[in-house]
Amino acid sequence: MFDFYQKKFLFFNNFKELYLHKFILMKRILLLLPMIFAFLSFTSSTRMQVRAGEKLVYAGSYNMSGLMTQLAQVTMSTENVSTAKNNYLHLSCELSTYSKWDKFFKIRDIYESYVHPTTLKPSLYKRSIDEGGYTKKEKYVFKNNKVTSTVKKRTYPESSRSFNIKPTSIDAVSILYQLRLVDFSKMQAGQTKSYTIVFDEKEVPVTLKYMGKEEIKAGNLGTKECYKISIGAKTDALRGKDKNLIWLTADAKKIPALIKFSIPVGTGQLTLTSASGI
Amino acid sequence: MRKLLLVLTIVFTVLAILFSALPMDTLAFLPIGVAIALSLVTLLKSEGNQKKFPKILLTISVICSVFVLGKTIFIKDEVEVDKTFEQQKIETKQEAKKELEELENDLE
Repeated sequence: MFDFYQKKFLFFNNFKELYLHKFILMKRILLLLPMIFAFLSFTSSTRMQVRAGEKLVYAGSYNMSGLMTQLAQVTMSTENVSTAKNNYLHLSCELSTYSKWDKFFKIRDIYESYVHPTTLKPSLYKRSIDEGGYTKKEKYVFKNNKVTSTVKKRTYPESSRSFNIKPTSIDAVSILYQLRLVDFSKMQAGQTKSYTIVFDEKEVPVTLKYMGKEEIKAGNLGTKECYKISIGAKTDALRGKDKNLIWLTADAKKIPALIKFSIPVGTGQLTLTSASGI
Repeated sequence: MRKLLLVLTIVFTVLAILFSALPMDTLAFLPIGVAIALSLVTLLKSEGNQKKFPKILLTISVICSVFVLGKTIFIKDEVEVDKTFEQQKIETKQEAKKELEELENDLE
C-alpha cells in the first residue's frame, strides 16, 4: 500500500517537475520569439533591400523653358569592397551627360559612399565633379563622431578640416539607401522621419515626409505602386515645399522609380529606365 | 505691321533651323512654335501674291518640327564611353581602398 502511494507521489512529483520545466521552457520561447522575429525582420529587410550588384539607370531631365529635356544618364550601383580587415558596400552615383550634349556642356560627376553592409553607416564619402570644366573633389572620412574633410576646387590648393557630427549623421548618398530600409507600410500619410546628413562640410537636417501611394512607370519593372516621399532639407541646394519628391516601389525592394527635384536654377527629374541585380 | 511680322517670322524661322540642327532636343520646339504661329499670322495679314513668302517660311518651320520630332523619337540618347572617366573611377576606387585601410588602422 505504502509502495503504491510512494509511486503515485513520485509520479505526481515527476509530472509537476515536467510541467514546471515545460512551462519555463515555453515562457523562455515566448520571450525569445519576439526577439527572434525582430532580429530576422531586421536582417532580412537590410539584406534584401540593398544588395551588392544592384544597378539602377535613370534618365535625367531638366526643365528648360517649360520643356523637360533629357540631359544626362544617372547610374546608381552597389558592389562589395573588401580590405584586409573589413567588408564594405560601395554605393555609387554617377552622372554623365548624353553624348549629344558633351560638346556644349560635358558633365561627369561621381558621388560615392563606402558603408557598413548591413547598417549602411558610412566610413568614407567621396564626390568628384566635372561640370563643363568646373572641377571639385571632396572626401569625408567618418571617424566615430568626427568627420575629416578634404576639398580641392579647380586650381585652388587643397583644404582640410575636421568637425564633430552627431553619431547618426550620414552622407548624401547613403541617405538614398537608408530611405529604403524604412517600413513605409506602417506609416500614415503626413508622418515624418528625420535624418542629418553631412553636405558641403556641414551638418544639414533632412526631413522625410510620407505622402501616400501612387502608381508610377518604373522602366523595365513596368507600372508599380509606389510610396511617395517628400524630402525637405535646410539647405540652399533644394527649393520649395514638397517639390523634392521620391517615389519608391511599394514592395520589399523599395526601388526609387522617380525622383523630382527643385534646385535654385530650375526643376528636373530622374526617371528609372532600367533596374538590374535587384 | 505686316513688315514687322514678316521680320519677326524670318528671325524665328532662322532660330528654328539653328535649334533643329543643334542637339537642342525638344527645346527646339520653342522657336519652331513661335515661327509657325508668326507665319500663320503673317499669312492672314498678307494679300494676293504677298502670301508666297510667308507660305515658304511656314513650310520651313513645319519641316523643322517634323525633323526634331523624328530625332526625338528615333535617335536614342546614349552616353559616350569615356576612357578618362573610366580610368578615373578605377583610380578613385583604389585610393578609397587605401583610405579605408588607413581609417581602420587609426581606429585600432
